[in-house]
Amino acid sequence: MTMQVVIVGRDTALWLTAAALRQALAPAGVAVTAVELPSRLSPASVHAALPALEALHAKLGLDEAAVLGATRGSFTLGFNIAPPGGGAPFFLAHGAYGAPIEGGDFFPYWLKARRFGLDAALEDFSATAMAARHGRMMLPDAETEAFGRTDYGYHLPAIAYAAMLKRLALRLGVTMRQAVTIAVERDPIQGSICGVRSDGGDPITGDLFIDASGAEAVLIGDAPGVGCEDWRSYFPLDRRLVAQAPRFASLPVYAEVRADARSWTALHAAQDATHVVHCYTGNEESDEAALAAAARRAGLPLDGAVATPTAPARRLDGWSGNCVAIGAAACAFDPLFEVDLHAVQLGIVHLLSLFPVGEDAAAERAEYNRITTSLFERIRDFQAAFYALAMASQAPKTLAHRIAAFRARGIIAPMEDDSFPVDQWRALFTGLGLPAESWPPAIDDTPPEAIKQGLRRILGFVKRKVLEQPTHDAYLADLGGKAA
Amino acid sequence: MIEAEGAGDGRYHVVILGGGTAGWMTAAGLARRLPRDAYRITLIESDAIGTVGVGEATLPHIKQFNDMLGLDEAKFMAATRATFKLGIEFCDWDRPGDRYIHPFGAFGEPWGGVQFQHHWRRLGAAGREVAPFQAYSYAVAAARAEVFELPSEDPASIRSTYSYAYHFDSSRYAAFLRDWAKARGVTRIEGKVAAVERGGDSAAIAALTMQSGTRIAGDLFVDCSGFRSLLLGGELGVGWEDWRHWLPCDRALAVACEHPDGQALTPYTRATARRGGWQWRIPLQHRIGNGYIFPSEFTSEDEAHDALLAQLDGAPCGAPRLLRFMPGRRTSAWTGNCVAIGLASGFLEPLESTSIFLIQAAVTDLIDLMPRPGAPDPRLADEFNRLNAMHHDRVRDFLILHYVANRREGEPLWDHLRTMPVPDSLAHKIALFRARGTAPDYQFGLFSRDSWLAVLYGQGVVPAGHDPVADTFDVDLVDARCADFHDRIASGVALMRPHRAFIESYCPADEEVAA
Repeated sequence: MTMQVVIVGRDTALWLTAAALRQALAPAGVAVTAVELPSRLSPASVHAALPALEALHAKLGLDEAAVLGATRGSFTLGFNIAPPGGGAPFFLAHGAYGAPIEGGDFFPYWLKARRFGLDAALEDFSATAMAARHGRMMLPDAETEAFGRTDYGYHLPAIAYAAMLKRLALRLGVTMRQAVTIAVERDPIQGSICGVRSDGGDPITGDLFIDASGAEAVLIGDAPGVGCEDWRSYFPLDRRLVAQAPRFASLPVYAEVRADARSWTALHAAQDATHVVHCYTGNEESDEAALAAAARRAGLPLDGAVATPTAPARRLDGWSGNCVAIGAAACAFDPLFEVDLHAVQLGIVHLLSLFPVGEDAAAERAEYNRITTSLFERIRDFQAAFYALAMASQAPKTLAHRIAAFRARGIIAPMEDDSFPVDQWRALFTGLGLPAESWPPAIDDTPPEAIKQGLRRILGFVKRKVLEQPTHDAYLADLGGKAA
Repeated sequence: MIEAEGAGDGRYHVVILGGGTAGWMTAAGLARRLPRDAYRITLIESDAIGTVGVGEATLPHIKQFNDMLGLDEAKFMAATRATFKLGIEFCDWDRPGDRYIHPFGAFGEPWGGVQFQHHWRRLGAAGREVAPFQAYSYAVAAARAEVFELPSEDPASIRSTYSYAYHFDSSRYAAFLRDWAKARGVTRIEGKVAAVERGGDSAAIAALTMQSGTRIAGDLFVDCSGFRSLLLGGELGVGWEDWRHWLPCDRALAVACEHPDGQALTPYTRATARRGGWQWRIPLQHRIGNGYIFPSEFTSEDEAHDALLAQLDGAPCGAPRLLRFMPGRRTSAWTGNCVAIGLASGFLEPLESTSIFLIQAAVTDLIDLMPRPGAPDPRLADEFNRLNAMHHDRVRDFLILHYVANRREGEPLWDHLRTMPVPDSLAHKIALFRARGTAPDYQFGLFSRDSWLAVLYGQGVVPAGHDPVADTFDVDLVDARCADFHDRIASGVALMRPHRAFIESYCPADEEVAA
């Protein structure tokens, strides 16, 4: 018996979902139809993929060299952030900070050493951050594994990435339809979707419908009574502008975020262009003024600018009836750190692990909604931490608790379903100037000499390891050679 | 008034009230991890007050605690008359005559990103002959064979797929830790508390005055006084969340009995469902601990007494002791400068041997969140309370599962339990498993996915489906892998020694007990 999945959407969310579902479930007799709506991408659009994407690529059989070749993207080891008010820039690395000292967690020792006059910043103890500062990769090997996690993500120009996923999906056997407008047909009694009609044509019927249409939510937004939770009170900026600049001669292996009290500008390096994202407040700054400000802050000429409003919000039931929302249709995030692609991936991964097995998917639906709510709230908190600490915005309750616990003891209160590792929370809080007023007293028994030795050993390792690495440019060129 | 020795030496003073398992685990943990030049630890206990010894069976986590202290396992086991534990056998819980083991270990192994239970169910659905789910656990097989060896550290070995805990005499464990802690600077004060003195702003506890007149001032007070909760519940009046509507048992009768001659030493705890409650059986080296837990609303003490004595393996050592309790937890276990640990902070019946784990988790959290000199920091207490609530709530759901998923039809207590409303968080977990065999999987706190699987399957909850991705694997290959796993268990278990023989060579109890 064939099960029909119909995905209505556009761009990366549509094609990544279509490819992943088809790849995993074709042998189980699942047919996938993708109904493609007109793209909303501009040449400036970019994804800043988190390290987790590599695993999904591997499942899809996507080779790294081929991905970077086809998209002309680049590697990224994290974000270099220049906070408002002229504070020192800090690096938010995809890898670990420090390594155990005397068998214990590194961070409390660093906190204590700083209190007693240590000069070295947190990022000095991160091989990933230091490699990024030196324009080098940080490739995991046996030594780095023993030291701590080293990970990287990608900058993926979105048009090329979506096109590559589309080719993959079609190759895997996804059926494609194209549409400009969508009419949803519902079962009059149950309210479930029986079909979608594109541009007035014949209805496309299916068993499960996926809404990957972005914030417009053409399927799930049409369902009666599926409300949203407004997150705008945590996110003070309401407009995003994307634009393109010439590529850097030598490609930084990270994204750069430069902020003032009322806006920020992010630069994402790629092989053919630099992708610039600028966020600001619409009623304080016109789009023209924002473009000028972005160009000034980027120090680069900008081209092809497109401005759109942002309104962070989470749909209360991302899976409602026989319709599952993936990506911005489920949760519209603030543009900071470009988390959208990661949210798409989380939606796909959890839909796959809960793919309905019976007629009534009530249990799967409840679990999907529970876990995606938890996952999305942790991502929201990570973004909101930036605004709470750098722009004095309101913090969600769970974040306020984490901030208070960090202030009191330098700890990251453990929470389920966190996409960001503890080290990244520490780097974000520390970098934004959140002070830790104490550390666990249990480390006070460690002799100062042992702490100093531990710190020196880590700095030495980081320095040596960074120098062993290829430069980003050389590594990309080498990879290009392999892909050819 | 007499000030206690060492008062006012400038160190932060932690005063622990109560010297049972909770008190001495707290004292030992703090003494091990807190710098002695900054912290002073005093424990007050009275030989006249008995301790509750319901926590005689443990979970594998206790090894981490003992390792943190640096205890020698064999010495600790000999001193506490301990035996090994590979899991808990549940008898007659689903229906009379049924039995299953909740093992400390994995069921099968995941293949191709799909969890074992889906492959297993898929094989059955495809018409292949498969052994029962229980047969794919190394720990279950070893427990059934009544054998033991320490697990392998080689992750490639099937003998790395289980872990173990202990059965021990908890009053001897407390005594063992007392000696350990006293040797590391913990001051023990014998006697009873006569009065609690509040601080200037009255929110904080300033000092305890002993019946002897000695005044013990402190910065932080840890309430390990058991059910009575003299400080947090009694003095500060912190509320209690009552869970009797989910876990109605509120009484226990406990008695030890002799080992009958010639009986093998079982490396597992046993929990047997009975008409009016349930009975535990915990084998130690020198005797067997037994108890009958029951709800006073359904079962009288006399009934419980007779039922317990009717099902002992050997002659009872004395008369059964009655314990009264109320399942639930404190609304905030850390309030002001008072932290409750152990039964003073919450009580969950020993069905899954969680009492000592909950103490251990609280001690570990208290070490990390220990205040520094100065005013108490409510931010540290907030985090402690969040973690404490999470641990209790997660265990609670797991316990309720044993009761609600029963088919002992026609017995009033069990009919009631089967039909009672359960927490939404648990109803959701059961529904998801029923629908597709997906079991809970979270990062923090008890219990693991394998534990949930053991009890869900064991209690007769049957999934209607499995992960459809399992259907995409070659069925012959999966069949062969399952069979191979099963064979490897059998050949591994065949090489293990009888549990009793292992104990006799590894950690025999000291002479004085045998005499």
